[in-house]
Formats: sequence, structure tokens, C-alpha cells
Amino acid sequence: MSEHVILFAGPMGAGKTTAIRALSEIEVVSTEAANSDREAADKDTTTVALDYGEISVNAAEKVRLYGVPGQRRFDFMWSILAERAEGLILLVNADAANPVETAIEYVKEFFALYERGGIVIGLTRADLVPEALIEEYANALADEMPDVLIPVFTVDARSNADMTVLLMTLVANVELKQAVGVRAAPARRAR
Amino acid sequence: MTIATHLDPKYVSRGELALGGLSNLAPSLRCASLLTEDGFSVVEVAGKELDSNKFASMASSTQALADAVARELRLGDNEFVIVAAEQGHVIQVRIDGHPLVLAALFSDQTTIGKSLTAARRTARRLKTLLMAQ
Repeated sequence: MSEHVILFAGPMGAGKTTAIRALSEIEVVSTEAANSDREAADKDTTTVALDYGEISVNAAEKVRLYGVPGQRRFDFMWSILAERAEGLILLVNADAANPVETAIEYVKEFFALYERGGIVIGLTRADLVPEALIEEYANALADEMPDVLIPVFTVDARSNADMTVLLMTLVANVELKQAVGVRAAPARRAR
Repeated sequence: MTIATHLDPKYVSRGELALGGLSNLAPSLRCASLLTEDGFSVVEVAGKELDSNKFASMASSTQALADAVARELRLGDNEFVIVAAEQGHVIQVRIDGHPLVLAALFSDQTTIGKSLTAARRTARRLKTLLMAQ
């Protein structure tokens, strides 16, 4: 059985744990602690190490889903988990302060994953703001990183259907990059 | 307005008392932090060579991972965490009844057993101190 390892990142309150729960076929392993930083996000608990879930794409393919904590003070977990990931689902809550800048900041932070497999962006809570134009994010990304192609979707992190679209887009990207990488690699001569 | 746990004067003052006691109990203590479950340092002692905020964040993650392992393996409540390395060890104990964790780094000049006893005694003392008005 082949496997993919996909990372979920994004600011606190973007819906990373919720998205992994919406997708996973196994009970999600969570590391939640009481949230004492109510100014950053008004919720009872927050992830402090990782979330882990699994989903089968078909009989021969499994995807391991890892979520990282949103707060920068846990960035050592970002590096640990990014090391073995092949692609990134970046969730950004559209109703947060400066969501476009936040999205770009995270893309830069996890750019190694773009090069390795790909990044897709899911804008959550977009229904709570008057205008959350995908084009705004796409244009800002194009201005900042002209040669980079990152799909942007609006999603409901609670929706299995929405998150599946995001995940499958990323997995297709990862597989395409891997296929191109294999073809581009010089053929080894058999001894 | 609710005060953030790591800024709560009761936790700060009694945490300072308890951590001061830990230094006396365990001369091999290199540094210790009383932290919130979500990784904010409430009080720290010694450890000038370490970034106390990073120590608190790592302790929070380690504690949550250890708790998750105990939970997944249906072992009941996780009592403490030990990270034993060549040049020292870290011991973490939850403060019963409070959203707090005591994390302490000891040098290799003492046994893990002695450090564990000191850390658990300090956690119990802090719990008692926090019960007082």
C-alpha cells in the first residue's frame, strides 16, 4: 500500500483539528489543552503538539493527516512534522485580522513543502465576512511569488466533501510532482 | 474580564514559592518552569542558558503527546513524563486540579528517582499552596 503524508497548518482557530476530524476514517489522535489565550482565539481548547488522522484514497493508497499547532511558539513542532510531509493544506480563517498577509506568511514558512509536493489553501469562515474573494488571495500570492501556483478554495472545515476536494487536489499535485520528478531523474544503469 | 492563567497573581506568587523549594530540594536542578497546559510560562527558576518560553512550549507539547499515548493505549491517567538523555533529564508532573504543569531539567549529577521524588513533592506542595486562600 502506498502512502502520502499531508500536513495541515494555519493560524489558531482556522479549523485544522476540525478538518482532520471531518476527513479521518479513524478516531483522530488529538493533543488539546485548555486554551488560556482567549485574545488569540475564543475557544476552549487548542492543539499543542499534533492531530493525527488517516484516510484511504482507494484500496492501495492511504493518506496520513497531521495537524500542527497554530501558534508560533510551537514552531518546533512545525519543523518536526514538516520533515516527512509531502504537501500542505493551509487553512486560513477569512474573518481573522489580515488573512491575506497571514496566508502569504504561512506559504513562505512552509515553502519547502510546495517544492516537495504542493500547497493548497482553504479559506474557512468565509461566510462570516462581507467579501472573501479568492482572487484577492490569488493575486496577492502572484504578486509576492510570481512563479508559484497555489490553488485557493473557500471551504467549510466541518464538511467532509469540502475537505475531500482540497485533499484530493493536493494529492493529485503531489503525485504529479513525484511522477515528473521520477521522469526527470537520470536513469540508473543496471550493474 | 478574565485574567490569563499565566498572569494570575495567585499562580505566580505560589508558583514562585514552590519552585524556590524545588531548588533547595534538588541541587542538580538546572532549570524549572511552571507552565500552563497550552505552553505559557507562569514562573521559571534558573536556566539562564535556556529560552524559558521555548522550554515551556516544548514541555506543553511533550505533556500532551505523553497524555495522548496513555489515552490511546488505555493506560489510564498519565502520571508524569520523563525524558532521559546523556547529560541530564527532564521531569514533568501535572498540578492536580489546575491547568498547570511543572517541568524541571536536572543535570546528570543525580538519579532520575531522586529528581522524580523532588518534582512530585513540589507539585503536591504547590497544590496545597493553591488550596489556601
